[in-house]
Amino acid sequence: MKKKYQALILGIVVIIFAGILLWHGKNTTKTERFEAQFTDVFDTVTNIIGYGESQETFTRQVSELKEQFDYYNQLYDIYNDYDGVNNIKTINDNAGKEPVKVAPEIIDLLKLGKEAYVETNGQVNIAYGSVLSLWHDYREAGLNSPTKAELPPMEEIEAKAAHTDINQLIIDEEASTVYLADAEMSLDVGSIGKGYAVQKVADYAKAHNMNHLLISAGGNVCVVGAKEDGEGWSVGVQNPDLSSDKEYVQKVKLQDMSIVTSGNYQRYYEVAGKRYCHIIDPDTMMPAEHMASVSVIMKDSGKADAMSTALFNMDYEEGKALVESMDGVEAMWILEDGSIQYSSGFSKYLEK
Amino acid sequence: MKKNDVIMIGIIVVIALVALCLVNLYGKWNTKDAQAVVTIDGTEYGRYPLSEDRTVKIESENNGYNLLIIEKGDARIEEASCPDKICVRHKPIDKTGETLVCLPNKVVVEIENGEEADVDASTN
Repeated sequence: MKKKYQALILGIVVIIFAGILLWHGKNTTKTERFEAQFTDVFDTVTNIIGYGESQETFTRQVSELKEQFDYYNQLYDIYNDYDGVNNIKTINDNAGKEPVKVAPEIIDLLKLGKEAYVETNGQVNIAYGSVLSLWHDYREAGLNSPTKAELPPMEEIEAKAAHTDINQLIIDEEASTVYLADAEMSLDVGSIGKGYAVQKVADYAKAHNMNHLLISAGGNVCVVGAKEDGEGWSVGVQNPDLSSDKEYVQKVKLQDMSIVTSGNYQRYYEVAGKRYCHIIDPDTMMPAEHMASVSVIMKDSGKADAMSTALFNMDYEEGKALVESMDGVEAMWILEDGSIQYSSGFSKYLEK
Repeated sequence: MKKNDVIMIGIIVVIALVALCLVNLYGKWNTKDAQAVVTIDGTEYGRYPLSEDRTVKIESENNGYNLLIIEKGDARIEEASCPDKICVRHKPIDKTGETLVCLPNKVVVEIENGEEADVDASTN
C-alpha cells in the first residue's frame, strides 16, 4: 500500500514541475515584438513595428523594407540627384525641354496625383511646385533667422501661381515618359509621395509574408493585418495643443488600414507673431487656416495622404460634404477652438 | 492515506509554489531599468537611466547640439541648435517606444524598458 502512495506523490510532483516548465516555456518561446527606426527617408522619422522569432529575423525583414523605402525616397525626391536615377527632380529640371524616361513607380504616383486633383477639385495639386518652393524658401529663411522672417510678396506668389496647371503635366504611359510642357512649372509630390511609398512598402511586406506590421513614416501610419494577438493596432491622434497634458485627443484601432494627419502645429514658421504652416491653400495661395488638424482613415495610404492635404485646404463643412460623398473615407477634424468633428462612419474606428 | 502522506503532499505543493514564484521573480529581476537611448544617424551615442536626473549635451555634426534633460523619470529636450525646434516642443517622454526626434541633427532619443505605451503609434 505504501508503495502505491509513494507512486501517487511522485506523480503529483512530476505533474507540478512539468506544469511549471511548460508555463515558463510558453512565456519565453513565443515570437517577440520588435521596433526599428530610421531617419533618412522622406525627411522624417520612420518607425516599423513587427513580430519575429528573434531580433535577427526582424532586422532582416526591416532591412528589406528599408531598401524599398530608399528606392521610393530617391524616385520622389525633388531636391537631390542620384546616380543613374531619373526622379521627380530630373522631370523638373527638364521642364519645357524634353520628356524624361522614368520608372513605372513614378508614372503611377503622378497618375494618383492627377486623380486626386480631380477628386478634390484641385485642393491637392502636385503641379504646385513653383508656389510651394517659394514658400519653402521664405519658411527656411524665417526659421534660420526668426527676427527677419517675412512672407513672400503677393506679386511674387501670383507670378509663380501662373505656372501650376496640372494639365501641362504630360504622362506618356506607353513610352514611360513624363514631360512638363510649361518651362516655369515644377512638381512637388510632398502631399502624396510619402503616403504612396508607405503603401507600396506595406504591399511589399504583405507579399513577403509579413502579416502583422505597422509602418509609420512621420505620422503617416499604415498597418498590415492586426497585431499578432488579433487585436487592432492602436494609433493615437496627436493633440494639436502641445502644451496640454493630454497627448492624444483620440485613439483609433486599425486593421489593414491607413491613417494620415495634416496639421498646422508641427511644421510652420512665424512672422510678426503669427503662425504660417507648411501647407499652402491653392485658393488663397497662402498657408491654410481652416483648422488645427485633420486625420483621414482610408485603406490606401497614398490616397489618405492626398485626402488629408485636400481636407486641410477646405473648410470643415466643405470637407465633410466631400468625405460623405466618397466611399471608404472617414475623417476627423480638430478645429482651432479645440472642438472635434467626425465624418459619419468614423466612430467605428474609435477605441472603446 | 496516512497523515504523513498528506503532509508530504502539502510540502510538495509548497515547494512547487515557491519554485513558481522564483521563476516569476527571475523574470522580473531580469528586466532592466527604463532608459533613454540616444542615437545620432542610427549610431548609438549613449544610454541614460530615467531613474537618475541628469543633463546631457548631445553633440552632433557641424556644432549641432540638443540638450537632453532627464528629470523625475522622464526625458525631454530643453534646448537645441536646430531651426525648427520640433524636438523642444515635444512633450517629455517615459513610455517604451516613445521618441524625441531632431531631424536636422539626426538625433533620436528613444525610451527602452519604460512603462508600457498605451498606443502602438501616433499620427500628427
